[in-house]
Amino acid sequence: METNYETIVIGGGVVGSGIAYHLSERYKEGVLVLDKKYPMSGTSGSTQAWVWVHNKTPSWYAEFSMYSAELYPYLSKKIGDVEYKRTGGLSPFFNESDREKAEKLAESYRKIGIKIKVLSREEVLEKEPYMNPEVAGATYSSIDGNVNPFRLIDMYMRAAKRNGVRYSTYNKVTEIKKQDGKYSVVSDKGAFECKNLILAGGTWSREIGDMLGVKIPVNQLRGQILVSEPLKPFLNFTISGLRQANNGEVLMGYSMEEAGFNRATTLDVIQETANMAVQYVPGLRKAKIVRAFSGIRAMPEDGFPILGKVPGHENLYVAATHSGVTLSPLIGTLITELIMDGETSIPIDRYSLRRFG
Amino acid sequence: MKTDVLIIGGGPAGLSAAIETASRGLDVTIVDEASKLGGQLNQQTQALRPLPSVHEPMRGFELADKLIEQVKGFNVRPLLNHRVVGFYADGSAGITDEENVFPVKAKKIIVASGAAEKAVAFPKWTLPGIMTIGAAQTLINRDFVMPGREAVIVGSSDFAMETAIQLMDVGIRVKAIIEKQNGALAKEQEKVSELSRNGIPFYFNSFIREARGNGQVAQIDIELPDEVITLNVDLICMDGGRAPILDVFYQLGCSFGFQEELGGWVPQYSNTFQTDREDVFIAGNAAGISTQGPLLLTGMIAGISVSEELQAISPAEANEIRDAIWKELGLLECKEVYTGRVKHLENFTSPVLKDQFIS
Repeated sequence: METNYETIVIGGGVVGSGIAYHLSERYKEGVLVLDKKYPMSGTSGSTQAWVWVHNKTPSWYAEFSMYSAELYPYLSKKIGDVEYKRTGGLSPFFNESDREKAEKLAESYRKIGIKIKVLSREEVLEKEPYMNPEVAGATYSSIDGNVNPFRLIDMYMRAAKRNGVRYSTYNKVTEIKKQDGKYSVVSDKGAFECKNLILAGGTWSREIGDMLGVKIPVNQLRGQILVSEPLKPFLNFTISGLRQANNGEVLMGYSMEEAGFNRATTLDVIQETANMAVQYVPGLRKAKIVRAFSGIRAMPEDGFPILGKVPGHENLYVAATHSGVTLSPLIGTLITELIMDGETSIPIDRYSLRRFG
Repeated sequence: MKTDVLIIGGGPAGLSAAIETASRGLDVTIVDEASKLGGQLNQQTQALRPLPSVHEPMRGFELADKLIEQVKGFNVRPLLNHRVVGFYADGSAGITDEENVFPVKAKKIIVASGAAEKAVAFPKWTLPGIMTIGAAQTLINRDFVMPGREAVIVGSSDFAMETAIQLMDVGIRVKAIIEKQNGALAKEQEKVSELSRNGIPFYFNSFIREARGNGQVAQIDIELPDEVITLNVDLICMDGGRAPILDVFYQLGCSFGFQEELGGWVPQYSNTFQTDREDVFIAGNAAGISTQGPLLLTGMIAGISVSEELQAISPAEANEIRDAIWKELGLLECKEVYTGRVKHLENFTSPVLKDQFIS
């Protein structure tokens, strides 16, 4: 295998593969993606895969997510059908006292052009007849939706490979050296040299940063998800916490735990999740659960994406974020602009690693 | 609920483990999804050989009854029609009666979940009337239902031959035995001869090309080395071998190794049948596909080891008994399987697949 590349991306998940694909659209130089296992075996393959804008706070972060969501229809045209569905998103609340909070959220979004409606109980039940009739209301945004994460990453990879990107999988990076203005990335399958290095290691960002003496404050959060048997299509929207997939299965998940990299599922959380789902949609009480799985998500210390150049290191870039599925088309676009043009079409200064001092 | 030993699976291995632990005064709970203890033995009418020296020769369902009788004499709590569906954060097993889920906190767990049959896929293999040999046996022996009138068997293992003979015995016409290898795989040639004497053709180097039928199987094309023949059948019994049932081990986060002779992926375990999860032991087909006699012995070893861990037997005595059982296992178990088992044990210290549930 070729050992010299212009650019190496560490991490082939939705963020890394998204960057590799977007880069390959404009880039004629060699790109290599390294993955310690295989794309989709980590966070990207264990997600409900919402493309989700509303209830992201503050509003500038929601705006950032919106730009990314807007790229999805165009992305599907370029790389193929990723089963992107703009279902609209519902976040129900069960106490009238939450309405004021919802109105405030809607107001702050209006300023940046994201339309959020605060629905009454009747409006919620009209949209989603199977919702618990005890619901007090919901925030609703038409831009939210979901995607099939397996198709998404597979299409990214195929398109990237067609454009000449190489992948080296089951290949863990063990050391990164800087010499003569180049990076030498040492892996289980040998060393690779490159000019530009992009760190897209997701949950492993902190460990990869350490190899360069760079602190990337990303933590791990475990989420457990239940999968029901295929049911007749009865849910119309992406509801915060559950959605119905194309094949009729309902995915349910609300949990966030600190469990490091341990991907076990626990009955405690499974039962809590089932209760939550039944509270939202009482009809689910009769559904059979076919399996449960857990995923480890990346969560930067302050919750916001870490994007852009790494201060004090030439040609070193980082992309580490929660909500990688929502943000991948935008992050791919912006990192490509940064490498090709030296600047980005929308400002990303507030997402710089610099903010952590 | 609290118990000293939770045994998951009440088949021959689980019952043997229960006898070893409960007879030494431990509080034992057996959970099984069936309505009766005994597992697959209940529908096995064939004579079992070889059995450990403590048992006289007998048939499957007789052995089941004998083991159940033995268990009854001790402090064993059977949870029938119950399933383990997961584990709580504190290590308790979550057990359901299909209505509620309740936690069971055990000091040690023995998983004897058995094996599942594998199907042999060919075009239209999902038509009704096409089933595994175990399913055909269950229909005949447990449910007293004729699974068909005119049958073919796909495969020629001992179990497949036994099933073919059983079909004949109940008046089903066996039209062919279809084997993709170039000879019969059964160790007991006697069964093969018996079928041949009854005029049943063996087609070697052959396979089913396609099944046809409207709502159920009616006809198949068999690809022989030099021609394709068509038979009218309403029953196809296929033997795709068996594989250990691993769900519980996944949930417990055990490591696995691949051992062809044991049926594929098998949890890693040491010579005390302890997995890499210290409180979890393994027994029976889950520890590698074998025959009934050896399965009883693996259950005994697991039971002895758990008794030792819970100080119901001295380490010296446990070692002595374990060594004796291992010796018998070496004599009783098919050479190939035993060799695979020994290799599998050697991998315990350096598992092939560790931390697979670590992101």
